[in-house]
Amino acid sequence: MSDVIESLAPRRIAVCVGSGGVGKTTVAAALALSRALSGGRALVCTIDPARRLANALGLASLGNVESRVPQHQFRAAGLEPRGELWAMMLDVKRTWDDLVARHAPDPVRRDRILSNRLYQQMSSALAGSQEYTAMEKLYELATDRDYDVIVLDTPPTAHALDFLEVPDRILDFLGNETARRLLAPALGAGKFGLRLAQLGGGYIARTLARFTGQDALADLGDFLQGFQGMYQGFRERAAAVRALLSRPEVGFVIVASPSAASIEEAVSFHERLRAEAMPIAGVVANRVTPELWPAPTPLPDAADVEAALLARGEPDGALAARLAATLGEHQALAAADRRALERLFALGSTPRAVVPRLETDVHDLAGLARLAVRL
Amino acid sequence: MAAPTLLDRRLLIVTGKGGVGKSTVSAALALLAAREGKRVLVCEVNAQERVAPLLGASLAGARTREAAPRISTVNVTPHDAMREYGIMVLRFRAIYDAVFENRLVRYFLRVVPGLGELVMLGKILYEARSEEEGRPRWDLVIVDAPSTGHAVQLLRVPATLLQTVPAGPLRRDAEWMHAFLVDPARTAVAIVTLPEEMPVNEAIELDQQVRAVLGIHRVALFVNAMPVTRFTPEEAARVAAWADDPPPLGPAAEAARLQALRAQHAARDLARARAALDLPTAVLPLVPTPAWGRSEVERIATAIATFDWSAGPGGGAWLGATGGIGGAARPPEDE
Repeated sequence: MSDVIESLAPRRIAVCVGSGGVGKTTVAAALALSRALSGGRALVCTIDPARRLANALGLASLGNVESRVPQHQFRAAGLEPRGELWAMMLDVKRTWDDLVARHAPDPVRRDRILSNRLYQQMSSALAGSQEYTAMEKLYELATDRDYDVIVLDTPPTAHALDFLEVPDRILDFLGNETARRLLAPALGAGKFGLRLAQLGGGYIARTLARFTGQDALADLGDFLQGFQGMYQGFRERAAAVRALLSRPEVGFVIVASPSAASIEEAVSFHERLRAEAMPIAGVVANRVTPELWPAPTPLPDAADVEAALLARGEPDGALAARLAATLGEHQALAAADRRALERLFALGSTPRAVVPRLETDVHDLAGLARLAVRL
Repeated sequence: MAAPTLLDRRLLIVTGKGGVGKSTVSAALALLAAREGKRVLVCEVNAQERVAPLLGASLAGARTREAAPRISTVNVTPHDAMREYGIMVLRFRAIYDAVFENRLVRYFLRVVPGLGELVMLGKILYEARSEEEGRPRWDLVIVDAPSTGHAVQLLRVPATLLQTVPAGPLRRDAEWMHAFLVDPARTAVAIVTLPEEMPVNEAIELDQQVRAVLGIHRVALFVNAMPVTRFTPEEAARVAAWADDPPPLGPAAEAARLQALRAQHAARDLARARAALDLPTAVLPLVPTPAWGRSEVERIATAIATFDWSAGPGGGAWLGATGGIGGAARPPEDE
C-alpha cells in the first residue's frame, strides 16, 4: 500500500497531476505530511485558486510565502511530526512580476512592462498563466530553498496535458515571430505609445486591427517590444525548468478517481509523461469504493440476512431487507470502480495506491494523516 | 409580470467544482426545458463532450447538433469560435481565410490574452441572443461551464476587457457581452456541488466570486448525489456492532455502517451549504449506477421537477404558479 510513498522517498520534488475533483490537493498535502511526520522538511505548494489546501491544513489562509503548520495544529490532531510541514499558495501576479524584474535589463524596461495594460491583464487572463508560473515557482523553490521535498499541486485543468504544453505556448507568445514580423516596422522605432500608422500598415496588420482596434494592437506591439531583450532569459529559464522536470529527483504522481473521465485523463497523462521521458513516481486511485463481498459468490438476499439476524438472536425482517439492499448497492458501485481501475492499472508496473473512499472527508491534519497511511 | 423562473431566462450557466455532476445537471435541465416545449441548446466549453452521450446521442463536436427532441448540443472550442466570429466581423469568408487561416496569424490570435475565452463566450452569447423570424432561436441556452476557477476566468473576460482594452471592435463586443451577462432577466448562474466538505467550501467560495467579481444573478444551488437516510441513528449504532460478523451479516452491516455514516456527513454538509448560501437548493439523489445514460439523467430531471423548492430560502416565489418546474405533478416522460 505504501508503494507510492516509498517510490517518492528518494525524490526531492513531487508533482501531483490529474483532472479536477479527484482529490489531487489532498493527496499532495498528505504526501508532504507523510514526509514531515517521518522527519523531513516538507513543503506543499498549491496553485488552486479555490484555496482548498489551507482548508485541509487547518490554516486560515495561505500566501505566496511559505508558512509553517504550527505545532499546536499537529498536537490537536494527535500527531507528532519529527520534521516540518510548510505550505504556500502560488500568487500568479507576484510570480510574473518577479520574473520580469529578474530578466529586465534595467529599471526603465522593467517598469515599462509592469505598467503595460496587456501585461497587467496577462497574469489573470492568459490561459496557462497559472501553470507557467507554477513551474517557475517550483524551479525557484527547488534551487533556492533547502526543503527535503517539495510537493506541487497543479491547477484543475480541463485538459491535463495543457500543463506540459503551456510553457511552450507562453514562450511563443513572448517571443512570437509572427507578431514580431507583423509589427516589425514599429518595433525598430523604440518609442512608446505606438500608433497603427507606425505598424507598417500591411494588409494583415490592418485586418487584425479591425478585430482588436488600433490601440489594442499598439499595446501588444509595445508589450512585445518591451519583452524583446528579455526573451532569451525567459527561454533559458524555461529550458532549465524543463530539464529539472526530467531529472530522477522529480516524480510525477498521477491522481485519478474511478470515474471514466478521470481515468481517461490519467491514462493519457501517463502516456504523455512516458513519451516525454518524465519520471513517474506513482498512480493513485482515490475515492475507491471498497469491495465487501467476494466476487464469484452471489450476493445475499433479504432472507439470507434475516436468517443471520435470527441466528444472532436479533430477528428483524424489515432491517434485513434494507441491509441486503444496501450491500447490493454498495457492491454495484464497487464493481463499477473495479472495472474503471482495471484500465488505469493496465498501464504497467508503476507504483500504485488504491485509497478507499474514506469514511470522512479529508479536511484536517488527522484526516490527511489517515490518507497518507493509504498512500 | 412574475420574476423569471429557473428555465425562463435566455442563458443558464451551470458551474461548480470538478467532478460534482455539472454535465448531468445540465442534461437534466435541458430535458425539463424540452418537456415544457422549449428549444434548448446545451453548450460545453472546450471539453470532453458529456452531455450528448448522457442524452443517448452521439457527439456534436463544434457544430450545433440535435441530441434529443428540441435539445441541441455543441462543444465550443476556441478555434472554431474564432473562425465564426472572424467571419462575422469581417463579413467575407475569403478575407478570413486569407488572413486568419494563415498558420502564423492563427497562432498569434490564440496567444493573445483572453481572446480564446472571449470568442467562446461570444459564440455562446451570440446563440443566446440570436433570433429567427422575430422569435429567439433558442428559448434557453444552458452552459455546462468549466469548473470553478476556469469558469470565473471565462465569465469575467468581458469585464476584464472593459478595463484594459481601448475603444474599438473588441471593446464594443465586450460591452454587449458584459451587459447580457449581468442582466438578471436574461442570465443566471446555477451552482452544483456535492454534500461533502471540500465541494461545499468551494461552492461557497464560488458563490462569493459570482457575486463580487462577476455580478451575475445566482438562481439555484444543486446538491448532487445525496445519499438517502436509510437507517435511524439507533439502527446505525446497532448495525455497526455487527460489522465484524462473518458473511453475510458482516459485509451487509459494514455496507450499512458506511452508508449511514455517509448519509450523516452528507446531511451535515448540506445543512452547511444551505446556511451559507442564500439560494433555493435542490437536493438530487445519489444514483447507484455503474454507467450513466439517458434513464439516469431522467431520474435526476424528475428529482429536479418534483423537488419541493419551497423548503429553501425564497423558494416559493421563485417557482412561479405551478409549484414546480414544469408542474410538480407531471410524471416523467416514457422512454
